[in-house]
Amino acid sequence: MPQVLTDASGNAQRDRQSPSKPVDNIIQLQSVSKTYRNGSQALIDVNLEVKRGDFLFVTGPSGSGKSTFLKLLYGEECASQGEVKVDNDFPAKLRGDRLSLLRRRIGIVFQDYKLIPRRTVTENVSFVLWAQGYTRKEINRRLPAALKMVGLQHKAECFPEELSGGEQQRVSIARAIVGTPPLLLADEPTGNLDPDNSWQVIKILKKLNQIGITVIVTTHDESLIRLSNHPVVQIRNGRLSSVNY
Amino acid sequence: MFRFLTKLDYLLRETLLGLRRGGWMNWAAISTVTVLLFLFGTGLQASWQLEGLLNQVGSQLEVSAYLETGVDGAMLKPVIERFPEAEVVKSISKEEAWASLVKDLGISDLKDASRQLEGNPLVDELKVRAKSSASVPILAKKLKNLQGVEDVQYVDEAVKRIAQLDRGLNWLSLMITGLLTVTTIAVISTTIRLIVMARRREIEVMQLVGATSSWIYFPFILQGIVFGVVGATIAWGLIQAVGQFLQNLLAQQPEFVQFLAAEGSLRPINSIALPLILLGFGGSVGLLGSLLAVRRFATR
Repeated sequence: MPQVLTDASGNAQRDRQSPSKPVDNIIQLQSVSKTYRNGSQALIDVNLEVKRGDFLFVTGPSGSGKSTFLKLLYGEECASQGEVKVDNDFPAKLRGDRLSLLRRRIGIVFQDYKLIPRRTVTENVSFVLWAQGYTRKEINRRLPAALKMVGLQHKAECFPEELSGGEQQRVSIARAIVGTPPLLLADEPTGNLDPDNSWQVIKILKKLNQIGITVIVTTHDESLIRLSNHPVVQIRNGRLSSVNY
Repeated sequence: MFRFLTKLDYLLRETLLGLRRGGWMNWAAISTVTVLLFLFGTGLQASWQLEGLLNQVGSQLEVSAYLETGVDGAMLKPVIERFPEAEVVKSISKEEAWASLVKDLGISDLKDASRQLEGNPLVDELKVRAKSSASVPILAKKLKNLQGVEDVQYVDEAVKRIAQLDRGLNWLSLMITGLLTVTTIAVISTTIRLIVMARRREIEVMQLVGATSSWIYFPFILQGIVFGVVGATIAWGLIQAVGQFLQNLLAQQPEFVQFLAAEGSLRPINSIALPLILLGFGGSVGLLGSLLAVRRFATR
């Protein structure tokens, strides 16, 4: 279960951690604020702990800071204040190859899928493994399993343009999990999908969570959140608080 | 070893993919390298040939001193050997010279020829090799002033002209090569940069999935090297073709021109060195161009 310690307004809302058990947080944010160069404040004094194996929804209106929150986790942005810890590493302090090694432990799914147009489904997914230096044998072993997980074995040789939006997003999920990362970040994965495809994507993410992957999903689709019955935190005007649906 | 092969598999595939996607941009880069290396190679080859001609004629460092009748070359030899400008002194007796001349003239009977001319008409000769081409005139003057020396001969003007031509050609090819090298590096760098830009989406995804910078950009560097190597190969082929054409042309020229061409032909070592130098130069230019292109992206 995620643990929202406090936000700037002092909302201490969720603390289900047993005090006697050693804490195994995969994500830890302490007093994190992010102000962009143009002066806009994306996050203000955010505190959050996410344990290994948790499934957490991050909700909030557009421009509230959800994407910034994820970018801090995979090292695309650095916090202006406070400390971000991911899988025992501090992304803000990592550069070059060390940041790359951390990113290999994080799967990322984007709203716009970020698939490579001129590569087939197989190539798009295996591309991650090639990029991480896996052998051809290992790639051939992992690829069918990843495609099966998202139900796209039969589309392996299709190009992205030949797939529906939902299928493209499932390819993107396959790509994110083929390297078996312990943490999966999904940035508005259902943002461009109809309700059926959205629910299918959420079901896949739930399945991944059941096999032990920590999943963090940002979304502003409240109906999905209600259906999936997982903890939710909300970012509004850069401040984080937990929400009960 | 296995890991290395895996890497090689990936790198070659990505490099080939990049080349396939590059399309006409590849040819822009390759043709620039070809022009650069063709001119550079031609200049280098011409310079080698001129140097070869100088060495052959040169004998250009050699001064021939013809002695007065009755003066023995062996006696003067130790005196000349003490000259600071002289490196080697070789004495050719009039008998040796006469035998050689008679042979050159195609006369079979040496005694008969001598009898007809009432004895050997030649004199003793000393061939003196100077330490440097600059000291040749000084040496010649000293020899001329030496008692017992009738006449002194050395190849002066022609050698000077060829040497001047060689120097001029070297400077010209250095300037053209320098200018074209900068242009080629700029063209390769721009080409690679355009290819990187065209693939920025893939690169962005690669960065997000944890590919290291060297892993992402090494195929682009290989691509630059391929431009250089392919350009060098084409340039070498062109140089060979032009050489062949000139040889055919020379076959129809007067004998003296043919003689000069034969004297200045490339030594076997140079024939091997030329393609290697072109490949090395082409590869280096490609490497430098692509390094400059990816440096900006990789250090972001």
